[in-house]
Amino acid sequence: MSKTIMIVDDSATLRQVVSIALKGAGYDVLEAGDGRQALALLDGRKISLIISDVNMPNMDGLTFVSEAKKLAAYRFTPIIMLTTEAGADKKAQGQAAGAKAWVVKPFQPQQMLAAVAKLVMP
Amino acid sequence: MSMEDALLTFVSESRELLEQMEDALLHFSADPEQINSIFRAAHTIKGSAGLFGLDDVVAFTHVAESVLDRVRSGELEVGNEMITLLLASGDHIGRLVSLVESGSQADDDLKADGQMLVDQLKAYLSGSVAAVKATVPVEQEVVLEKASTGDALTDNWHISIRFNEDVLRNGMDPAAFLLYLSGMGEIISVAALTDRVPALADMDPETCYLGFEINFASTASKADIDATFDFIREGSRISIIPPRSQIDAYISIINSLPEEDLKLGEILVRCGTLTESELKSALTEQLDTESVQPIGEMLVEHNQVHAPVVEAALARQKQVKDNKAAQASSIRVDSARLDHLISLVGELIIVGSSASLIASRIGESDLLEVTSNMSRMVEEVRDSAMSLRMVQIGATFNRFQRVVHDVSQELGKDIRLEIHGGETELDKTVVEKITDPLTHLVRNAMDHGIEPADVRLARGKPAQGCLRLNAWHDSGSIMLEVADDGGGLNTARIRAKAVERGLISADAELSDHDIHQLIFEAGFSTADAVSNLSGRGVGMDVVRSNITALRGSVELLSQPGEGTTVRVRLPLTLAIIDGFQVGVGQERYVIPLEMVEECIEFNRNQSRIDESGFIDLRGEVLPFVRLRQLFEQEGQGPARQNIVVLNFAGKRAGVVVDSLHGELQTVIRPLGKMFRSLPGISGFTILGTGNVALVMDVASLVDMMSRRDQQVAGGAVVVI
Repeated sequence: MSKTIMIVDDSATLRQVVSIALKGAGYDVLEAGDGRQALALLDGRKISLIISDVNMPNMDGLTFVSEAKKLAAYRFTPIIMLTTEAGADKKAQGQAAGAKAWVVKPFQPQQMLAAVAKLVMP
Repeated sequence: MSMEDALLTFVSESRELLEQMEDALLHFSADPEQINSIFRAAHTIKGSAGLFGLDDVVAFTHVAESVLDRVRSGELEVGNEMITLLLASGDHIGRLVSLVESGSQADDDLKADGQMLVDQLKAYLSGSVAAVKATVPVEQEVVLEKASTGDALTDNWHISIRFNEDVLRNGMDPAAFLLYLSGMGEIISVAALTDRVPALADMDPETCYLGFEINFASTASKADIDATFDFIREGSRISIIPPRSQIDAYISIINSLPEEDLKLGEILVRCGTLTESELKSALTEQLDTESVQPIGEMLVEHNQVHAPVVEAALARQKQVKDNKAAQASSIRVDSARLDHLISLVGELIIVGSSASLIASRIGESDLLEVTSNMSRMVEEVRDSAMSLRMVQIGATFNRFQRVVHDVSQELGKDIRLEIHGGETELDKTVVEKITDPLTHLVRNAMDHGIEPADVRLARGKPAQGCLRLNAWHDSGSIMLEVADDGGGLNTARIRAKAVERGLISADAELSDHDIHQLIFEAGFSTADAVSNLSGRGVGMDVVRSNITALRGSVELLSQPGEGTTVRVRLPLTLAIIDGFQVGVGQERYVIPLEMVEECIEFNRNQSRIDESGFIDLRGEVLPFVRLRQLFEQEGQGPARQNIVVLNFAGKRAGVVVDSLHGELQTVIRPLGKMFRSLPGISGFTILGTGNVALVMDVASLVDMMSRRDQQVAGGAVVVI
């Protein structure tokens, strides 16, 4: 049974490339375009990892992460924050909100896979 | 957009990049800055190919990229061979991309081609690794042996982790990190530390009490291994101890770091033994605890760095500081300004000698005293000005470490370089001009002199060849020696070749030593096979002409089975010398004083002597030449003439002149292009009278006469 990973990003291209990479590595993928969509999509599903961007319309990544962490089902779900080189403070905020892992944009699919591999057993 | 569309974009983008890369490679020699665009092209292709999982393209481009990266950082030099290889690599990438486009697989031929290119590219990479290793000083290794006995280390990485209690709450799974780690190498053993686990009643199931001690075999770098723990670093205690075998590598990197003013931590991070995060936490700890313990000790105590590596880093730091201190007590001067000073001193000498001349003509005693004082002062000014231009030969010699390393690689021989007398000083201009001939001699010794390892072993010598560069002062000259411990010259073969080339007659009686000198003759090469190094049209004759152009000489000593030594004698300076003035008719000539041995009277009426060109000087044969004849001057000399006995590099010869005029300081000016090739004259000088005097090239005169000596060797010598 494959594990499910959720990718939350407003860029369809990014979601697509990450999704192709994750599916290639044997995971199931759920895609959401912003925090609000993502929260709606969670709906108690069993999710092994959430990958979330910070800047998104409707609901940003930090709000989404702290909201998700409030839900009992996702208390212990590891979260990867997508940060930029310059956004050191965003990284700290993300960690405070409960996203302990991060991947710096721009990244290549294999970098994402490496980060995922540190958090999710296949 | 589907992946198929993206793939087509990749194909056309890659083709474009490959074209740019080819263009840049072809113009590389004119514009080395092109390396950046070449590197970028390879890098972009690799990156895009990675997105599509085109492993063939990624793997191949990666190797090419690594080579380019080293070129970019200046670690590798670009020669024609490399350009050719890189062009071929670009073509290969193009073929791989075409396969992607057509959706077909690489056939065996293409795979073989690719493998061949990869092997060639990797040769460049491994070459520079060996270069780093080769520079490890011997003393460091000794220190290492002593210091490492205390550490219980295996030849694997040792990773020790105490997890932050919150890792589970943060959604991290310790097992996932172990699994990730096993992707980089082999986990030999894992010991779980359960000492923190409390009694069941007190245990919080959400808290992580565990720690691991991991024995890990991997070739990954410390930074890569450390990156595994990026997400759990906070609040966890992680120490990664490199394997014992890594120590040498770290130390050699430390020793090859550029001479910058680095902090200890920075040095350790640069060499890869310490990661940025380890340094940061150690510095924070030092600050927090207001500890006075040096950072090095702290890191060793925390098992983050090996003691010998810290020692090496401290030694390096001290060395850089010492060098800086040495530099602080001196100032840098543009060499053009020094040259200008020297030429002004030259003018001063000429004007000064005019003044002395006029003073002695007037005969006013006060004036004579002043001018003689002035002459002495001018002489001192000259000497100290010249000494400003003196530099140690050591820097030039050290450059050969690289040459020896590269050529060893090229030839597949193991050769070490020993340097002696690096502190010997000589004129900067001489140093600049001697580098090329020295390079040729060094390459020659490595190529032809030192035998391949198997031959050496068969002859009972150590497999590693040894090349020595020596320098020392010897009566107004500097001696440079390039010596190898190879097989020595093949006297019979040189002789045969010389006869074949018509350099000597078949029945000429020559000593082995004389035969050896024949390899300096033009067009002489005994190499059986034209290798990459020799046979490129630059022979030993060019070496000799370069050296004689510096008023120097070169001699070769060879012992069969023991090695060959090429000894170069050079004047200390080129511009201003102590000269000895002689006259023939109205003409004046200057002979460098250090080469004048003595002057003896010569009676021209002894006609038998005229014919032979030899005299008996206290029982020794002395060849001589009449300057009047040599330079085809009109008229007869006076009845009483003089022979100036010249000594150059152990050979003696006489020059017959009309008159002797004593010592003078001589500023040597180069001859115009038209006259530069005249034998026997190396320059001119302006005398105090305003007249021009030619400066004799003693090296070529003595050489000329000693060769005449050989031609009639065994013939009758006329005794006075």
